[in-house]
Amino acid sequence: MMQRRDFFKKLGVVAAVSAVAPVMSFAGDKPKSKNAMSYKTAVDAITGGKTPKKSSKVKLKVPEIAENGAVVPVTVNVESPMTSSDYVKAIHILASKNFNARCIDVNLTPANGKAMFSTRIKLGGTQEVSALIELSNGDFLIATQSVKVTIGGCG
Amino acid sequence: MAQKRKSLIKIKPKKFKDGEVVKVSFMVMHPMATGTTKNKKTKELIPAKFINSVKFNYNGKEITNMTVWEALSTNPVFTTYMKINGKGKLTVTYTDNTGEVNEKSKKIKPKG
Repeated sequence: MMQRRDFFKKLGVVAAVSAVAPVMSFAGDKPKSKNAMSYKTAVDAITGGKTPKKSSKVKLKVPEIAENGAVVPVTVNVESPMTSSDYVKAIHILASKNFNARCIDVNLTPANGKAMFSTRIKLGGTQEVSALIELSNGDFLIATQSVKVTIGGCG
Repeated sequence: MAQKRKSLIKIKPKKFKDGEVVKVSFMVMHPMATGTTKNKKTKELIPAKFINSVKFNYNGKEITNMTVWEALSTNPVFTTYMKINGKGKLTVTYTDNTGEVNEKSKKIKPKG
């Protein structure tokens, strides 16, 4: 008897999920923005063909599960002396599945004293957030983390 | 086309010395509409209105400049660090995609 009861419980959950799912996936009839840019073209546009290296110097702080996609706090910390000869030139924050993958480009100078930036972004759904760092010597570093979004914020 | 917007510049810690590196955050009340969302009652598209660029100026020298896209949240916050270099003024200029330009400034007085 217990097994049968459990089976019906699971069946109920599956039915509830499949009933909600089509309501949530309305991405097809969304109007397109002028600034639409995919993740790959965004990375290419920033790096100019160079492949960014994964590095432990870049610390990306994003929640693993975001309840509300409209407000996702992002903090990027980069270890750097920030002197005039060796500093972080730019921090780019990218979201892989937003219609415009580029969120913000921050151009820093040695007058900042510390390479850190934090803001709040919108995420349309479960995806990867990455921080692309440009150093003053022309190298690119990257850090990526996936974020689960329960309620999308872009539509 | 300047419009009055509530904005705020916060510096942490509140008391700082010359040469110290402090945390600066700039907040502004802005809708940051992406242009893809609909008004739920009238079912009409909400036109895009988002901040394009933000610039931090300290004593006439540009410290940080940012290019911003749609994906920032409504009422965005921008937080960075800044090295204090004598008495002066920190000015933040932000531009809208509709051509709105606004400014906010704060006096900086290092102690000791």
